[in-house]
Amino acid sequence: MALKQISSNKCFGGLQKVFEHDSVELNCKMKFAIYLPPKAETGKCPALYWLSGLTCTEQNFISKAGYHQAASEHGLVVIASDTSPRGCNIKGEDESWDFGTGAGFYVDATEDPWKTNYRMYSYVTEELPQLINANFPVDPQRMSIFGHSMGGHGALICALKNPGKYKSVSAFAPICNPVLCPWGKKAFSGYLGTDQSKWKAYDATHLVKSYLGSQLDILIDQGKDDQFLSDGQLLPDNFIAACTEKKVPVVFRLQEGYDHSYYFIAVFITDHIRHHAKYLNA
Amino acid sequence: MEGEAAGASPDFHFYPTDLYDSEDRLHLFPEEPTRTGREVHAEMAGEPGGAAPGKAQRDLEEDVDELVHLSALGGAGEWGAELADGSAAHMEVLDHRLHGVQRDWRLGAEAEAEAEAEAGDRVFAGWGAAGSSRDLREAYRYAHGRASEEYECYVIPEEDEDEAALVFCVTCRAPVRAVEVSDEHRQHEVTPLSKALESAKDEIHKNMFKLEKQIIQMENFANHLEEVFITVEENFGRQEQNFESHYNEILETLAQKYEEKIRALGEKKRAKLEALYGQLVSCGENLDTCKELMETIEEMCHEEKVDFIKDAVAMADRLGRFLNTETDVEISTQPDFEDQTLDFSDVEQLMGSINTIPAPSAPVINPQAPNSATGSSVRVCWSLYSDDTVESYQLSYRPVQDSSPGKDQAEFTVTVKETYCSVTNLVPNTQYEFWVTAQNRAGTSPASERAVYMTAPSPPIIKSKEIRSCEEAALICWESGNLNPVDSYTVELTQAETPEASGVTESVVGIPSCESLVQLQPRQTYTIYVRALNVGGPSARSEPVTVHTTGSCFPLNQHTCPPWLTISEDGFTVMRSERKTPAKELLPGSTQFTRCVAVMGNLIPIRGRHYWEVEVDERADYTVGVAFEDVPKQEDLGANCLSWCMRHRFASSRHKYEFLHNETTPDIRITVSPRKIGVLLDYENSKLSFFNVDISQHLYTFSCQLHGFVHPCFSLEKPGCLKIRNGIAMPKHVSFY
Repeated sequence: MALKQISSNKCFGGLQKVFEHDSVELNCKMKFAIYLPPKAETGKCPALYWLSGLTCTEQNFISKAGYHQAASEHGLVVIASDTSPRGCNIKGEDESWDFGTGAGFYVDATEDPWKTNYRMYSYVTEELPQLINANFPVDPQRMSIFGHSMGGHGALICALKNPGKYKSVSAFAPICNPVLCPWGKKAFSGYLGTDQSKWKAYDATHLVKSYLGSQLDILIDQGKDDQFLSDGQLLPDNFIAACTEKKVPVVFRLQEGYDHSYYFIAVFITDHIRHHAKYLNA
Repeated sequence: MEGEAAGASPDFHFYPTDLYDSEDRLHLFPEEPTRTGREVHAEMAGEPGGAAPGKAQRDLEEDVDELVHLSALGGAGEWGAELADGSAAHMEVLDHRLHGVQRDWRLGAEAEAEAEAEAGDRVFAGWGAAGSSRDLREAYRYAHGRASEEYECYVIPEEDEDEAALVFCVTCRAPVRAVEVSDEHRQHEVTPLSKALESAKDEIHKNMFKLEKQIIQMENFANHLEEVFITVEENFGRQEQNFESHYNEILETLAQKYEEKIRALGEKKRAKLEALYGQLVSCGENLDTCKELMETIEEMCHEEKVDFIKDAVAMADRLGRFLNTETDVEISTQPDFEDQTLDFSDVEQLMGSINTIPAPSAPVINPQAPNSATGSSVRVCWSLYSDDTVESYQLSYRPVQDSSPGKDQAEFTVTVKETYCSVTNLVPNTQYEFWVTAQNRAGTSPASERAVYMTAPSPPIIKSKEIRSCEEAALICWESGNLNPVDSYTVELTQAETPEASGVTESVVGIPSCESLVQLQPRQTYTIYVRALNVGGPSARSEPVTVHTTGSCFPLNQHTCPPWLTISEDGFTVMRSERKTPAKELLPGSTQFTRCVAVMGNLIPIRGRHYWEVEVDERADYTVGVAFEDVPKQEDLGANCLSWCMRHRFASSRHKYEFLHNETTPDIRITVSPRKIGVLLDYENSKLSFFNVDISQHLYTFSCQLHGFVHPCFSLEKPGCLKIRNGIAMPKHVSFY
């Protein structure tokens, strides 16, 4: 598990780095970005994992979200992974922007030809944390997860499928109910097959209905002028209804005038970092 | 020290130890450091002696030495006590020097007897800073007789090289070698030396303690005697003067009376004699006239008839006239002495008053001493002229009444022997006029000047239900408790006993009004009192109130509360009953909320962080938040730019949460209805945040420009109740917002 440093830049007293490594789960070289706050020089810090949305690499978040100052102040190590395996030469992986490369959907594929490489769920919940814990000054007991859009979906399912593993979870414009939206149907049928009952294991709205784990405090921000919201890709109302019924605490903020972009993320990223810091630094 | 002890010269002086400290010092002897010193000494100085004794031997011998000195000190203690002063500077070196001296004796080549005699001399010469030491020693020997002889004996066995153990012979009061017991001391009671040493030490300590006490007693008694002596001298001197002046007065009076009487007698005598003499003269004249008449008549008888007849007629007329003139033969003045009673009553009075003194002059009444008054009493003081003798004083007083001088207040009088009087049962915060007269057997003095004293105020009454507090301060308000104005108030605060705080009382003084904002430490408990002050002094403490500087505490402002909203007895539950709201509109512009059924809390005006919680019914329609005091009361909370609040509506089994300011709210959905809402008002960061307390969930944060102070607001749009929870420590998670 050799790490190769790709870049390192000082930012708000800490360092924004990018590494490359050979992933066992994904059978390919993977890049990830990690921000080490100043506090990490002297001690172990909590780890906060970011999952990006469709088409993104590790670069989008670190260059556009503007989270560094808040992470530096709260002393959080922030890790941003890629969104799918790269360069696996699977037929059709680069045919569309919402499936294959850049669209791993944070599931472990069960269908050929994807099942060898497209194991993003195991990658972000197991392999990557182990790699981080082994190589960086992080406290393995304190980790949280958040993401945007497809990554928001990823963050929610990771938290809901692993009660207690993550101290907190938050999302920007997450795909809340993928089994019912066009993106989700396309991805899940491709990665998981046609048996829709298997899909539910990666659907936040379904997962929350059977969630019995420890208390989660979920923060969701959603732009009101988000095109994908009106296209029915995100379906937050279904998730909120399920959470209300199951009394899973969610604060859902519908932000007037904002869209699906990183401009929207940049506005509320500080609130999300604080949300996680509250649980990670408690 | 060790070195010094070892190198002490033979003519070294023995300085007295502090007898009162000896308990501490003596036990040092057998301790390690000293022993080490002895060993050092043995190495350095033991050589010249040629025969350095074994360690056990040395210890034994030193025990003997110690016992010897203890006995000596014990016996001499009572003398030493008086001589010990001034020698403190030498005390520290004593312990070691003592040993130095002894060793020097042992190792020196001096004759034994000489050494003994000198040792004794040195001991006492050392004690006696003055030259009287020898006399004292004589006295000491005299007092102790044989004991002193024995003391000298004790030292003798030092040179003995015998290794046998030492014992103490009680009968001879001397240490002896164990082997000697067999012969000389066979019949005697013997104890081990160490035990004897112990008991001797105990005895000495006890004696010293007794002596110490006795000295203190005697000193006190001597002081007392001295005082009595002076008093007797003064009193008798005064009485002698008194007698002298009285006797002189009486003698003068008597002399004066004598003069008067003598003069009166003389005058009377002369008057009587003059009267008698006058009578005698006129009597003589009468006689002459009679004789002349007789002669004339005889001559006539020898005359001729005609002449006789002629003359006889004329004569008869003349005779008739003469005889008709009455001759006064009554004695005009009685010769006997008229009854002259001597009036000695004034002399008698003087004689009677010979043992008394003149009536006193008017005492001088003092102005009121600061802080001498209580709410119901003043302490009035006055003084007399030193020549006066006074048996008692009469202190009179009456309240000063500046309103109606016509109505005279009743006067009161008390009789006291002292030159002060605590007058009780007075009305608080009131001026009284006092004057005093002095009396003795000779009479009553004129009255003193009148002095105005003022009683201290009544204690204020803290309005405990109106106390506001936060983590940094408390706002205390109170009622004066006095009808008249007082000068100022003092707030006293005591931090509850904790390991860090020692219950020190702090005071905030000179508070002109009936409220005070006091700065406090966070998370502490304080007991707070208030006193009122006037010239007479401070009042008693008010009833205490307890303030906890945990979270914020605010009372609800009843004036803002519309009639259909009730506040519970404890002041923290707001209830809206099922009754229909009255159709009658309340007047706008009043302090009451007229449109929304709301009540405002009185938050302490401190620009820090304030946290409180509200327990809500999940199905109730409520609004909680903050507003400026002058928020339009005819508008809903959140409907203007002077209020910020969280509003909950429950309709068709759906909860709706709004975070209203200026009639706008963000679109926020909350999946778990809070039952307990935490509100954090943060002036420093201009933020107002709401939390679901039970799950530590952040709900919303307003960024608000708080140019002034805002107050908590609570509103119920439908029947239900809100329970306000004050004094709650800010949870850690809220500090992230």
